Order: sequence, then C-alpha cells, then structure tokens
Amino acid sequence: MNLFSHAALSHWLAAFDAASPLVISGSAAAGLLVTSLVLLGLERRAVRSPVAVAALAALAFAIAWCPVARPGWAPLAAGLVTAALARDRDDPLHAECSLKLLWVMGPALALSWAGLSLLTLATGTPIVIEQWAVLQLGLDPRFLWSTALPLALLAGLVLLGGAPFHFWVADVLQGVRPWLAAAAVVTLQSSGAAWLSSRLEGIGGFPAGRELVSDLLGIAAFAAFVAGAATLLVQRRPERRVGTLASLNGAIMLAALAAGRPPGPAALAAWSGHLALALGGAATVARFLPTFAGPAPGVPLFRRHPWTGIAGLYALASLAGVPGTPGAMLWLASAKALAAAGRTGLLLVLSAAWIAALTAAMRQWRQAFGVAAPAASVPLAGRVPLQARLALWIAACGLVALGALRLWRV
Amino acid sequence: MTDATTESHRALRVTRTGGVLCALGFVLIGWPSLFAAALGLELVAAAFWCWARAAEDRAEQLPRWAWLRRPASALWLAAGLHAVVRDTGLGVQPAFQTLPGVVARVEALAVLWGGLELMAALPLARPFSDRAGPLGATGPWLPVMLPAAGFLVLWRHAALWTDLPDVRTAALVLLLVTACLAALRAFGRRPWTASLRWLAVGDCALGGALVALRAVPADAALLLWLGACGGHALLLAGELGGAATRRGPRPHRLWRVAAWTALASLSWPVLSTLGFGPPDVANPAFALAAAAAVALAAWVSVGRLVEAPERRTMVRREAAVPLIQIGAVATLAAGPVALAIAWWSGFEPSWTDSLAALTPAIAGGWAAGIGGRRSLAERPTLAGLAPRVAARGRRARRAARAAFDSIVAFERRLVAVLGRIAFALIAPARDLHTGDAQEYLLFLAGVAVLALVLPLLR
Repeated sequence: MNLFSHAALSHWLAAFDAASPLVISGSAAAGLLVTSLVLLGLERRAVRSPVAVAALAALAFAIAWCPVARPGWAPLAAGLVTAALARDRDDPLHAECSLKLLWVMGPALALSWAGLSLLTLATGTPIVIEQWAVLQLGLDPRFLWSTALPLALLAGLVLLGGAPFHFWVADVLQGVRPWLAAAAVVTLQSSGAAWLSSRLEGIGGFPAGRELVSDLLGIAAFAAFVAGAATLLVQRRPERRVGTLASLNGAIMLAALAAGRPPGPAALAAWSGHLALALGGAATVARFLPTFAGPAPGVPLFRRHPWTGIAGLYALASLAGVPGTPGAMLWLASAKALAAAGRTGLLLVLSAAWIAALTAAMRQWRQAFGVAAPAASVPLAGRVPLQARLALWIAACGLVALGALRLWRV
Repeated sequence: MTDATTESHRALRVTRTGGVLCALGFVLIGWPSLFAAALGLELVAAAFWCWARAAEDRAEQLPRWAWLRRPASALWLAAGLHAVVRDTGLGVQPAFQTLPGVVARVEALAVLWGGLELMAALPLARPFSDRAGPLGATGPWLPVMLPAAGFLVLWRHAALWTDLPDVRTAALVLLLVTACLAALRAFGRRPWTASLRWLAVGDCALGGALVALRAVPADAALLLWLGACGGHALLLAGELGGAATRRGPRPHRLWRVAAWTALASLSWPVLSTLGFGPPDVANPAFALAAAAAVALAAWVSVGRLVEAPERRTMVRREAAVPLIQIGAVATLAAGPVALAIAWWSGFEPSWTDSLAALTPAIAGGWAAGIGGRRSLAERPTLAGLAPRVAARGRRARRAARAAFDSIVAFERRLVAVLGRIAFALIAPARDLHTGDAQEYLLFLAGVAVLALVLPLLR
C-alpha cells in the first residue's frame, strides 16, 4: 500500500483517533519538552544540569498524564513547579515567582482538601461517582455539601489561571527563564483542568450539585473572560499578553465545564496539548518582541528571519483563537457548548473576550513588524539564537500537526 | 545599487503589497460568507497599515488608520456568533428572549457596526474622509474605498440585519444622518477632491438606506449605488490624473450629466419609499432629511464640477480615446438600467410620487446649473448677481463647516465622556492588583468566602 495514498492516510488517521488521548497529550508534551530542552541550551552552564532536564521531563510527564490524572496529581505538579523555580537561588525573579505560587496555591490546595474531606465525611466514600449517588438520596443537609463542593473546586480554579488568579500566569511568563516558563504554566493549568474534570465526573447523576457547580463555574468563567479581556487590551508587555491569553484558555475550559459537560479525556488531551504547543511557541516569541512604546522599527527576529517570526506569531495567534488556527476550534467548541446549554450571557462574554484576544494578536503582529525604516537609518543589531528559532518552528509544526490530526477534523 | 534606488524599489513593493491586499480584501468582502467578509476587512486594514508604516509621515498615518481594525473585529464577532448558532441548529427568526434571538440581534448589530463605521456613520471615526490616505500620489483617492467596503458589507449581508425591524430602523436613522452630514461636508470643503470623497460617503449612506428600505431588488440596489459612488470615485481618480474628467467642454458636460443622473436614480427609490411607501416604512421626517441631503449633494456634484482650461498645446495620443469618459458613460447608464431592473421587479411608484421624489435632485442640479458663479457671469442680465451669490456662497460654506465641526466635536466629547466613565469603572479593579504576593492570598480568601456565600444566597 502506498504510504501517501488517500486510503493509507485515512487508515493512519483512524488509528490515531482510536489511540488513547494520552498519545495526543504525550506528543504535545514531547514537543514542549524538546522546545524547552532546546531553549535550555541557551542558559549558562550552571543551569544546564541533568536536574533541569529531569525537572522538564517530569513536567512534560505531568502534562502528558493530565487526561487521566486524579486530583492527587495537582499538588504534586504544583510542588514540582515551585521546586523547579526555587532551585535557581541566583535568580531573584524565579524566587519571587516561586514564592507567589506557593503563597497562593498552598492555601488553595488546603481549602480544596478541606472541601474534599467534608464531602467524604458527608457521604462516607472518597469515590466521586459514589458521592453524587449518596448525595442524590437527599439524606445530607444541603448546607454541608453546598459548602464543601465549591471549596473542593477552588484549587482547580486557581490552577487554571482564570481571573482573578490570572496574575500568576503572566508573572511566571514574564519572570521565569524561557526554558522553564511555558512548561511550568502548562503543567499547572493542565493540572487545574484535570482537577476540575475529575472532581465533576458523573455529576449529572446529582442534578442539584450540577446546577450549583454550573452556576459557580459560570460566574468564575464570566469573571475570567471579562477581566482577561480588559487586561489584555491595556497590557504593553508581550510576555504578559501571552500570559493573559493563556489565562483566557483556562477560561474557555471553565466555560465548557460551566455548560454542564465535563470534558472527556480526549477533549482534555486536545486542550492541554494545544496549550503546551501554543504556549511553548508564544512564550518564546514574546522574548523577542518589544514592549510597546509607540511606533518603532521591527525587532531583529522579524527583520532577519521574518518566516521564523511568523511561525512564532502563529503560535500566539492559535492561543488567541485566530480563525483558521487550531486554537480557534477550542474557542468554538466552548462557545457551542454554551449555546447548547442556553448560557446566553456567558456566550456573549466569551465572544467579547475572543474579540479582545484577536485584537491583541493583531496588535502584537503589527508591533512585531514595526514601521518600515530606511535600511541605513536603523542598524540591524541583535542576534537571534538558532535554538530559539528552532523552538519556534517546533511549536508551529506541532500545532499544525495537532490541527491536522485532531482539532481541524472535529 | 544606490540608496535612492533601493528606497524606490521598496516603495514600489509596499504599494504593490497594499494593492494586492486591498484587491483580495474586496473580493472577499463581496463573498457571501461572513468569515470571508471579516477576513476581507482585515486585509483592507492590513493594506492601510502596510502603506502607513512605510509612509513618510508614518507617525501620523499609523494612528489615523488604526481604527480600521474595529469594523473587522465587529465582522469577526458576527461570523463567530453565526458559526456557533448555525452549527447548533438552534433555528432562525427566534424570539428576542431566547439565546438564538439575542445572538441574532448581536450578530446583526455587529454586521451593522462593521458596515456603518466604514461608511462614517458612527461617531468614532467619522471625519476620516477629510484626510488623504497613506499612499503618496494615490493617497487622496484611498479613503473612497472605505465607505464602498462598508456598503458592500451591508448589501451582501442584508438578510442578517434588515429582517430585524428595530435594527433596521436604527440603521436607517444613522445612515440618513450620515447622508446629511456628508452632503454638508462636501458643500463646506473648498478642495474638490475632499468634496468628492464626502460625496462618495453620501452615496454609500443613501445606498445603505436603499438596502435597509428594501425598496428595490438587491442587484438593482447594487447597480444604483455603483453608478453614484463609482461615478464620484472615477471623478476623483480623474481629478488626481490631471483633472482629465473636466478638461474640455464635452467631457465636463458629460460628467455633470452622468453624476447627476446617477445620484437622481439612487435617490428616486429612497425618497419615494420614505415619503410615499407602505405605512410601516414611510416616515416624513426621514424623507425630509434624505431630500435635503440629496438636494445639497446634487448641487455640489453639478455646481462644483467646473470646466478646467486646456493648457496643453498638444493633446497626447492616448487621450484621444480617454478611458475616463467611458466611465462617464457607464455612470450615466448604470442608474437608468438599475431602475429598469427595479421596475421589472415591481418597483412602480406613481407619477406624482416619482416627481416628488425626484424634486430634490432636480432642484439641486438645476440650481447648480443656473446659479453657479460661472453661469451667472456668462449671462449679461444676471452678471450683477454673481458677486452677491459668491459672497453668500462663502458664508454658506462657512456655516456648513461650522455645523459639521460642532456636530463632530459634540460626538467626540460624548465618546470621550463615555470612555472616561468606562475607565472610572475599571480603575478600581486595576488598582486592586498591585503585584504584591500578599494580595494574592487576599484574593484567594475573598474568592473562597464568595464561593461559600454564593450557594447560600441562591
């Protein structure tokens, strides 16, 4: 059989569909790992140690495992990220980010743990599906489970990075070195999505709980979209813009959950896989983009290697859900879920946030290329390392592959 | 290669890139898909950005045309909402209270926003036709493309917004106000090129009103608009090419008749429907506003198109069959042909209604024909009136300029006030976040308390 015939292609695609979601998230995580390892090559010798490689591998594993992860993985992932950040004692920004993450995620996980314990206490079982069945009997006071359930979701909310917790995503992407920043953010956000998905598994069997969760997550998604969109339009630093876009990607997961349809492993894998590749590329290209301070000539990356720059901006565009990119399909899927659930307000806010994301992406595009300057007037200074260019191409190719194999075919 | 040669090559490349983007953009705007239209507007905005970033005065040009992304964003919004509701099969013509009903209205408003802002019908970027575009010699012509793009958006996606009566009425009001303001501005501006740009805006606004009124079939509406706006666009192109359209008595006369005919043809169905149409469409106030706009536009179109003296001793060979005069013939024919199509499809106003509907155009054209300074000066019996008419004309132009400026200033102040209110509302939220690690914990505590309190409040 010809390997490139239509039948062979269909065969391969069917085989890919049948494969476990872990293949998708694993492939994307591998792409992010390679990107991060390539960027690690740019660091000083003291940083380029086997420990750093092991930390990156562990983070990639956490991302790959996300579709089937249990809630217990989230504290491990948060601990891993915090430790990886705190390890470089010479870097004050790493230490600051580590402290902030610890400061917010420690209490959030503790509160959620308290909520989980309360639910276990009330129902007599730690198994989620059994808990809904017990609560559906109506033997427990409403006050108890309606207090425990929101607390149990809090950690997922913080880890997803939706507003008002969108600050940590931008802080990490701005303050942490490129080789670690994207991997850390994707690990935490994927863990948050996995936390919420696994906590809400089978909640359809307990309508009162589903209603409560739908309302609460709807409010959270609403706040995340509004604050994310407003923040995005006033931000000037590219790294923080990318961070807010990642936060909005967390919000679209929240919206899907608020629609009352917890994503299955395949959807979770597609979401986290896309986030890994898009954030890997966008966070890398953001390091070469200028902080906006009025019209200025294009940055060296776009003057020396415009196609590589475009590959980086493609990742950013996908993160923003620019039509035609794989990321747009995720935004559309969330919007359709909201429409099917009749959540008009949330759908309109999601649309507004999407428009803000598109605006930010187009603005970034224009600022990257800058104004045309006569060749003689502005010297073409600044080197663009080969590793960075390689990382941008890996992310862009990975996104195209993810789109072709999964997202564009939905 | 010298620096000058490199620069000229680069300028040529920029011009071509922008031109290709614009052409592609217009092809996509004409496509029936909303996504294609959004992409088309994005390409037009990209073309302006491309030209502006390479312009000599780029510091002015870049912010001046930055608003062009707004209509594209509005179209993206409409396209996205359309995709969401269409694909979930939630139906058409839904009630307002339902999700599809709300989405259909937002979609219609987004399409309208995209079209109206390009037609200078929204108070955000209304005076864009006052200035030349960002491309050297062709610059003064470029802004004409924007209202044309706006009309094409409204015309192509008319089904999305004309089916909703409240949206259609709002659009009609904005379009008629724009037609009046455009005519006022065209009258108030002294340079003929600027007046032509404003006349094109007025044509597009009247064309948009025609689409909103659904008085004639869509293809007839397109042809009527094409005649009026295309005629003024060709006049402007000719003006930039050495005033070719008005050099010599015959071309001058031909263009005067053509421009007037196209405008009168466009105004006929608009005014007859607004004045004497079905009760749910007819509105005397709207009809009067439209009549005033048409009369003034007709006066400017005919009266300001003065013959240019032929200074060349030898006319170039290629000027023997001037393409621009073929444009005049096309402009002349477009209106009557479109009206014939409309008549064939059932547009049959009575003779009296038609006469009344044509009166503003006839009055404007006739007054310009006999009341112009040159016409007065040519008639010995009326020659004494010429200085007085000229003085009154100057005063009227000043008044028109002042009226337009005060309206635009009021609009700007209103927008600024709304912006400041929005900023004041957002400011406390921005102040909440100082980047301090402690505040993150406070956020967490706040959200936890909220998560506990909200279920109890249900």
